[in-house]
Amino acid sequence: MSGSIERNLSALAEAVDHSQASGLVHGLDPRAKILVTLLFVIAVTSFGKYEVSRLMPFALYPAVLTGLSGVSPGRVLKRTLIAAPFVLFVGLFNPLFDRTPLLRIGPLVLTGGWMSFFSIIARSFLAVSAAVLLVLTTRFDLLCLGLERMGIPRVFVVQLQFLWRYLVLLAGEAQRMVRAHTLRSWGNRSGVSLKTFASLAGSLLLRTLDRAGRVYGAMKARGFDGEIRMLRPLSFSLSRDGLFLLAWGGYFLVCRFVNLPELLSGAVGR
Amino acid sequence: MSHHYLDVRDLRYAYPDGTEALKGVSFRLEHGEACALVGANGAGKSTMMLALTGLILPSGGTVDVGGTVLSKKTAADVRRRIGFVFQDSEDQLFMPTVFDDVAFGPLNQGLSEAEVRNRVSVALSEAGAEHLADRPTHRLSGGEKRSVAIATVLAMLPDILILDEPGSGLDPYGRRLLVGMLRNFRHTRLIATHDLDLVLDVCPRTIVLHEGKVAADGPTADIFRRADLLERCRLEVPFRMQNGLSK
Amino acid sequence: MHMADALISPEVGGAMWVVTAGLVAWSAKKLKEDPDEGRIPLMGVLGAFIFAAQMINFSIPATGSSGHLGGGMILAALLGPYAAFLTLASVLVVQALFFADGGLLALGCNIFNMGFFSCFVAYPLIYRLIAGTGRNRNRILAASVLSSVAGLQLGAFSVVLQTVASGISELPFGTFVMLMQPIHLAIGIVEGFVTAGVILFVLKARPEVLEAAGGGTRLRGVSLRTVLAGLAAAAILTGGVLSWFASAYPDGLEWSIAKTTGSEELAAPGTGLHSSLAGLQETTAILPDYGFRAGSGDDGAAEASEEAAWPNPDMGTSLSGLAGGAMTLALAGLIGFALRRSAGARK
Repeated sequence: MSGSIERNLSALAEAVDHSQASGLVHGLDPRAKILVTLLFVIAVTSFGKYEVSRLMPFALYPAVLTGLSGVSPGRVLKRTLIAAPFVLFVGLFNPLFDRTPLLRIGPLVLTGGWMSFFSIIARSFLAVSAAVLLVLTTRFDLLCLGLERMGIPRVFVVQLQFLWRYLVLLAGEAQRMVRAHTLRSWGNRSGVSLKTFASLAGSLLLRTLDRAGRVYGAMKARGFDGEIRMLRPLSFSLSRDGLFLLAWGGYFLVCRFVNLPELLSGAVGR
Repeated sequence: MSHHYLDVRDLRYAYPDGTEALKGVSFRLEHGEACALVGANGAGKSTMMLALTGLILPSGGTVDVGGTVLSKKTAADVRRRIGFVFQDSEDQLFMPTVFDDVAFGPLNQGLSEAEVRNRVSVALSEAGAEHLADRPTHRLSGGEKRSVAIATVLAMLPDILILDEPGSGLDPYGRRLLVGMLRNFRHTRLIATHDLDLVLDVCPRTIVLHEGKVAADGPTADIFRRADLLERCRLEVPFRMQNGLSK
Repeated sequence: MHMADALISPEVGGAMWVVTAGLVAWSAKKLKEDPDEGRIPLMGVLGAFIFAAQMINFSIPATGSSGHLGGGMILAALLGPYAAFLTLASVLVVQALFFADGGLLALGCNIFNMGFFSCFVAYPLIYRLIAGTGRNRNRILAASVLSSVAGLQLGAFSVVLQTVASGISELPFGTFVMLMQPIHLAIGIVEGFVTAGVILFVLKARPEVLEAAGGGTRLRGVSLRTVLAGLAAAAILTGGVLSWFASAYPDGLEWSIAKTTGSEELAAPGTGLHSSLAGLQETTAILPDYGFRAGSGDDGAAEASEEAAWPNPDMGTSLSGLAGGAMTLALAGLIGFALRRSAGARK
């Protein structure tokens, strides 16, 4: 994660608040949304490395979800942009290593390297936007429930839920500690010193261990016996969730195996 | 019916390193009584409450909760009867949503789904938190956390409520809501607090703890008039009784 | 060191998902065999701790840059390998979902790269061997540095293998390795020091914590078999991929080219937009020297096999394809916008 703690925390808070909204997309069974997202990512990443235009029709999915769910497109875009330093870094080597010219538009020569670089960017946007939309339109506790119904081991799902619950609290504690330290030091821009980090993290860790003990006590006080029981069964409605799954799954298949952009050009031309 | 009593005799507790936190505490709470537990920091309030719920096992004395004497074997049973509200709600709200947290206790009690849902909605409305059911627990304000924490405990239908500093961290409005709630509960209540004005509003009886022992036990108004006692125990006369503001 | 969806192929991503899913299921099973009620809140809260600690940047001496804690070693020391692995995995899942760190397809790779090597290899085989559960400062320091370095080197190497095997990036294996390994060596050393610092801090304040956690049954639970099985799976995978590359690089490339070049990608019919674009296309035609033709799929494949480095142009890079692509993108945007407007109007 890049960025300051503040920014990360507010991004997380935003995502949580968004996911609490109600609406068409929010109301879908999380399993359907998870499956569609996975199909989307698999389809997008399965293209050859020079493919750019055939990735474009896939943009319909994030566009439709953004439109239907009321999430602001700016927010989605912002998150896809944050995602990418490693990708860009690696991707930029492509034009360097692959100089075979592929396309000339007037005086401009596009090499294979550039085509694959653009492909990488397109993939990144698409894949990240799908994940972002999944998280902005699905309550995390329901997402976990969906994962569990799909076969993820219960101990891992419970772990996700506890982690998510205490994440904000601990990040807040970390933030306060860093602030307190910054107020007493000469504000090093790129971070605290190694020694300071060790003691900050060390005290945070000790406090965390104490908290774990207290939480366990609270759990025992309410009858905890080793098993976390969860209610709220999910209901997968064939007409709504099944349709969502089939429709988008079908669309992705079509986009993957039919060259829609060429067809569209052809149709417009005619 | 009149068995929701709490009978503590010569309760003792010593830490692993030998320090004695409780040096023989005795008192009895009757069914439906609301009693405050006051004392300086370190007097032993929190330790005593942990011992009452069986989260730590006493080194001596007995704790009788409505006929069940606390022991390692009966600890789980005792916890079923006592609803303990922690000082730090963050420790008490550990499930992803409010609903999950309030349902945690009833689910562990082996109730059916319908019963659990019923308990949850009743508890949430008693605590004034029905509108928070689907909220993630980490997105609650301090006052909301406190109300939900109380709901999590109410849902188990305890006989006795024990609350550790319930007013801490609340703004005046939240505090007022809390006072209203506490006054209306029919449970036997033991409230540990520094907020002596809250005590005046909620608890007719007060136990003063000092250095691990009971320094006084009686009607709240009487105890709060004894300035020398309060000072000896590192307490102060409540604000509204200072400067002759009240009777 | 996160793999991203943009650089990965479904085959590599899927394979790593299978491995990771297996490790998760295996760890869950091992934990069930050794039940510990208090472990549930502990794992959850420690996961949150690692997450929060990773948000605190520290400045790396002698450089201007900042780094952050990995945390695998600390988790393993406190929880044992299985619980630590699951905790790290959960952190990575939340990071992938909420902070777009890596991607959903690449998540399997990331959990493996960052979880398996630190929890199942570096911790039991290096850290425990050197430092045990004792309090010797020097041993802890040495153990932390060596295990961090080892874990990161192995993880970074995995990233290289996975990226190269996916074939989306053009970075040659050698270059990539030369880039990744030294950087992660440096990162590993720094992280080792930081890890040691945290462990020593905790030891000084509360020595019983690490002894209770690290001692006894926890390590006995990690059979050498588990480690070897995981390594074997990874080795088979990477060995297969490497040999595919080494012996059949041109073939592999051609195979994937041919696979994605469908016969649908033939030259366009000649009217309307196409003819006007065709005129444009004459000027912008693929340079004849290289012998490309917007020809039939077979010819393309044959040419591709002759000149393996020259990709077939019939992969959507024709101008009309790009135009169509731009149109579809615009269409998608319009549809999304329209939906938003109608949703807004309905409110």
